[in-house]
Amino acid sequence: MRTWLQAFRPAIAVSFLLLPIPAAAQVDLTGTWSPRYQEDFSERVPGPELGDYTGLPLTDGARRYAESWDPARITMPEEQCRVHISPYIYRGPTNIAIFDERDPSTRELIAIKHRISTFDQERTIYMDGRPHPPAYAPHTWMGFSTGVWQGNMLVVTTTHIKKGWLRRNGVPESDLATLTEYFVRTGDVLTRISAISDPVYLTEPLVKSEEFVLNTQGVPHRSWLYKCKPVVEVVRPEGAVPHYLPGKNPYLQEYRKKYGFPESVTRGGAVQNYPAGSQPVPTGAPMKPSGPVLAAPKPGEVKVLHVQGQVYMLASTDGNMVVQAGDEGVLLVDTLPAALSTAALAAIRTISDKPIHYIVNTQAGEAHTGGNEALAKAGPTRPDRAPLGSGLGGNTGGATSIVAHENVLNRMSATVSGSGPDVKTARPRGSWPSDTFFEDENDFFFNTEAVQVLHQPSALDDGDSAVFFRRSDVIVAGDIFSTVGYPVFDAKQGGSINGVVAALNRLLKLAVATGNMEGGTMIVPGHGRLSDKMDLVEYRNMVTIVRDRIQALVAEGKTLEQVRAAQPTLDYDARYAAPSGPGSADAFVAAVYQSLRPK
Amino acid sequence: MASTRRTFLATAIAVALIGRLSVGTQGQAPPAAPRPAATFRDLAPIDLTGYWVSVVTEDWRYRMVMPQTGDFGSVPLNPDGRKAAERWKPDQAGRCEAFGVGSGMRAPGRLHITWENDSTLRIDTEAGAQTRRLYLGEAPAAGAPSWQGTSVATWDGPPDVIDVLRTGGFDQLNRGTGQAARRLAWTPLKVVTTNFRAGWLRTNGVPYSDRASITEHFMRYSVPDSGEWLTVRTVVDDPLYLVQPFMVSTNFKKEADGASKWSPKACRE
Repeated sequence: MRTWLQAFRPAIAVSFLLLPIPAAAQVDLTGTWSPRYQEDFSERVPGPELGDYTGLPLTDGARRYAESWDPARITMPEEQCRVHISPYIYRGPTNIAIFDERDPSTRELIAIKHRISTFDQERTIYMDGRPHPPAYAPHTWMGFSTGVWQGNMLVVTTTHIKKGWLRRNGVPESDLATLTEYFVRTGDVLTRISAISDPVYLTEPLVKSEEFVLNTQGVPHRSWLYKCKPVVEVVRPEGAVPHYLPGKNPYLQEYRKKYGFPESVTRGGAVQNYPAGSQPVPTGAPMKPSGPVLAAPKPGEVKVLHVQGQVYMLASTDGNMVVQAGDEGVLLVDTLPAALSTAALAAIRTISDKPIHYIVNTQAGEAHTGGNEALAKAGPTRPDRAPLGSGLGGNTGGATSIVAHENVLNRMSATVSGSGPDVKTARPRGSWPSDTFFEDENDFFFNTEAVQVLHQPSALDDGDSAVFFRRSDVIVAGDIFSTVGYPVFDAKQGGSINGVVAALNRLLKLAVATGNMEGGTMIVPGHGRLSDKMDLVEYRNMVTIVRDRIQALVAEGKTLEQVRAAQPTLDYDARYAAPSGPGSADAFVAAVYQSLRPK
Repeated sequence: MASTRRTFLATAIAVALIGRLSVGTQGQAPPAAPRPAATFRDLAPIDLTGYWVSVVTEDWRYRMVMPQTGDFGSVPLNPDGRKAAERWKPDQAGRCEAFGVGSGMRAPGRLHITWENDSTLRIDTEAGAQTRRLYLGEAPAAGAPSWQGTSVATWDGPPDVIDVLRTGGFDQLNRGTGQAARRLAWTPLKVVTTNFRAGWLRTNGVPYSDRASITEHFMRYSVPDSGEWLTVRTVVDDPLYLVQPFMVSTNFKKEADGASKWSPKACRE
């Protein structure tokens, strides 16, 4: 006979189901986990075959990138220690040690850590509800991860991932990708499901899953270490980037022939992954961005990000400027447009209330020099030039030293109309550089560190400079480097594509990354997010490869229209092309073409 | 709004429960047993029903096309397993061995999952036109072995979760604070299948025997901007043909219009 208690058992269970779900961990994921490779074995362990893009919902641009990729690139010193990014590293041969980081006083869970044996990586998944960093923060191999429990499933969202591989035979994942992971433990088996959304190289999310088994036998402690020091394996001309010109990769046929696949199959695409009736329309266009909305400056705003040492990046929608602040005072690199001067000064004053002694301009454009006059007035002069005044925000008649290559002054002071007292110049006199140089380099010492202003001849124009803070180990690249756009160079003002490539290679030689090719020397681009050497490598590679492709077409005697029709920037447009104007793909191709064609 | 409704419902049930407790403690005769208010279907922590289409991003050349004869890559076969696999001939392609419980989820196509009754989930597959039944309640008595065997399902949370749903968990729940039941918010469905016929792990004859143990976990989740997804982890542990368990997971995407696309293709006996 059933008791009333038995009768109400389901109702009681339901009543508790309706109670709020606690945020605490539901399942213990800690321990050492070893993967099983019974899916995609040949890709995951020995490595994928060249030309095998099956199963990947690639864009046309991703396919072009992959088919141009030359495995010889791995031999380049800057590529040798490249780490597999978090979306991909779990698929390779590796062991994972999962452990908790807890507040020592409350024992509250702060983060779940993953120690990944391959490449000596340690990944942090924050469980304390903190937000993701802003869009202008640097990216890392593992990215920035936050986790939440959904019942017995840990759901992890990762942003700020560096550019890496969807498959390590050249299929790229962009640095705009977002990773969502689902960790499910049952008994001694852990399943990791991953969904990658990439608005540059995927047409739809790429969902994969893999299994790990609890390792109760231990992993030798040395197995967790991975030290890498790059060396020159192949002597090449400086700046050479191995790649195949479109349509010229001789190895793409191997995989097709080996398995008897038609070309349409091995080149991937979402349409290949579904049964009949469910196949998406094959547009080849990138998917829409997905994932959390990251904080970014709004028009008129200036945001501060500490880079390292004494250097700070000030981000705006019009580009970046830099503040170096120390005991001696403040040094600025570039000053943003004049309309942002008030916001820029407010941001500077959150870093230091000391006088602004130096402004260094990386080029003449309004986006770099527009605030020169206002910000120079905001601080008293350099001690050796004129009497110091009252200090903060009060101009005493002295002038902050504005340092730039002389060609910047020439451009800003060029006569537009009139003469004598009625002369009109390109820019107001108060914004002109006051301390110019004509040499290759102009060095000085400020705030206990060497500051090198490095002229980059014939790059975007004839006046570009980069600034290297040697003690803080930060390079300010100006517009020679951008994470969001093609380089916009002006041949009429002395710029050239080869000058841009040379400038990028010069900066690469200055930068030194850590053993895992992450961090080390930090690089502030003219536009976009804070970067490191590997980000600059990616940009240099892009510019070099596009240059090489157009150079080859020019050598074949192609017209500009024929070059445009060949889409030499197809694999990079979704990342770098502006919809129109000087930063568009058409404009970039035209500029490179004009720069390379015989005069 | 939904939260308010849940709170109201929980309060109502709790009030009703307290009322019953109060009556019970006054020494009066217990009331007549009412009908159960909840079933396995009601208590399901994840909804697996609907049309699901496979999205083949892994093992593409083993799944979307017929693998080459003799290509057994990544299956941990022992010598007997290898010998059995090598006996396969191309004219066997399309036989039902390729759509049995050990590998049926791997075949490209759609699943249609429904509640056949309050305690049985039914899975129909396009590939091979197979039907599976996952019994959360009492499974029927074993009959002759079949391609899909007899599948017993449980929600695979910590042990106390299973207690709540199946046996004796009420006592724990009554003593404690109800934490066990709360864990039902998301829990995979574990399925253990027995009484099946031997089949193939891959369509080119890589074998599993009728002595294998086959355990699956069904996991549903939301992918941002891509709807609902289902992953089925399958572990085949075969003492006859394998040196270690064969472990794969297969991903499906929910299709709202799956009914209009439904096109089962029968296998050959």
